[in-house]
Amino acid sequence: MKKVLVIQEDLIILKILERLVSLNNYECKAIPSLSDLSIEDQESNFNFIITDILFEGIAPLQFVAQVQEILTHENLLIVTSMGQDKIKQEIFALSGISGFYAVPIDLDEIDATLKAYNE
Amino acid sequence: MNEISLLFFIKILVLLLVVCWISIGVSMFYRRIRTSRLALIEATFADLVSRYLYNDPANPLSVQQINDRLKKTGIRPANRNNVQYLISLMIRTQRSISGSNFTKLQKLYGMIPPYGVSIKKISSWNWYRQARGIREIYEMNQVHYLDEVLKYRNDKNIYVRREAQIAMVVFLGWESLRFLPYLKWNMTLWQQIKVVEKLYDFYPQPDLKWLQKVYGTERSFAKRLLMRIIRKFELQSEVEFIMKHLADEDYEVRETAIYCINTFSVSSASMAYIKNEYDKIPDATQKLQLMNYIYENSNMDPEFYLEKLYGPNEDIKLNVAQILWNNGYKEKVQEFYMQQFPKSSLYVG
Repeated sequence: MKKVLVIQEDLIILKILERLVSLNNYECKAIPSLSDLSIEDQESNFNFIITDILFEGIAPLQFVAQVQEILTHENLLIVTSMGQDKIKQEIFALSGISGFYAVPIDLDEIDATLKAYNE
Repeated sequence: MNEISLLFFIKILVLLLVVCWISIGVSMFYRRIRTSRLALIEATFADLVSRYLYNDPANPLSVQQINDRLKKTGIRPANRNNVQYLISLMIRTQRSISGSNFTKLQKLYGMIPPYGVSIKKISSWNWYRQARGIREIYEMNQVHYLDEVLKYRNDKNIYVRREAQIAMVVFLGWESLRFLPYLKWNMTLWQQIKVVEKLYDFYPQPDLKWLQKVYGTERSFAKRLLMRIIRKFELQSEVEFIMKHLADEDYEVRETAIYCINTFSVSSASMAYIKNEYDKIPDATQKLQLMNYIYENSNMDPEFYLEKLYGPNEDIKLNVAQILWNNGYKEKVQEFYMQQFPKSSLYVG
């Protein structure tokens, strides 16, 4: 089964994304921060990582770099409340970013992305 | 102080210390219970919202089930703090979601508590609760309370009427502009910006009919708000309204007009009108600002600038001299400055 990792500090968004991913027939691991990852999770290969970039104690770009470095994945989607143009440009300047969704999020777009990958 | 009174004093102090410890203990215990209750409400709400938005056909979630679970977590009319916390979660969620799920959420909010808490706040004697109640009503899009909210648009408290006016914009959109000439109190710059931003977020498609109906208003804040709307929505067809107020008798209206005109480029005929208006502006700083706009948005017009070079204001003359000097009219500037020296003969000792 294809695997998705969701990292969101906001519990409500985390639950909604977890539900959306599960209903699309993915195995979903939903956690509020990177520190909640188990050793097994770190060794997994995720088809998608859907993550926020705003976490305590780490700069947004540094966080993305950290995720890219420690987790094996195919697609990295950013879902965040930091939707300023400058941040968006900086994020897209990094390689390996598949999508950027700023709050307010249209979940239909993420749904379509997951469905398209599944087909 | 003898031994007995000293012992009595120590006993009093120990008693006070014990009372202090007990109150700290009770407070910590209460906080722990309260935090876990709030966490439970948040987790329950997150679970219910996620299941409602993405309902599993095999295990559908009914509204009755949602209400029962919320009740079990302590969302009851008697527990006002819990209900207030739920409202904040509802508003937070609604702000985070757009698209078809936003509509679904609005539908859900119409079917679950908060037991009219927000509308009850409006009739409170406390202005803070009133303003908060109005804000919750428009944040959760409870449009059925519109008539109640409208009553507060001219409230004597600035925060209450501010929230009521924003609620009008959220609920009525461009049509809310028809109330503009009838507002009794001044609208601050901050309030104007909030109104423009809300209009832009909720109703990005302009409805010029309502805008044009208010053009005749005599109120200074209304004129300024209209110009800010024209600027924000980049309504090129309505630039004439801004141009007409470049030389308004009100300082703030002129200031807003000059600020807003900077967003637009205008035709040569309109630029000729603006140059004509320039002379009617009584304030030198505003004249300078408009002159810079004219310089940056039109072809070089030496006649216009030469006329200003011989005007009364030194700052303007300096600015004009700089423009002429940088655009190939050095000799005109030199001529102007040479004329200032008196025609007296030289005395060589």
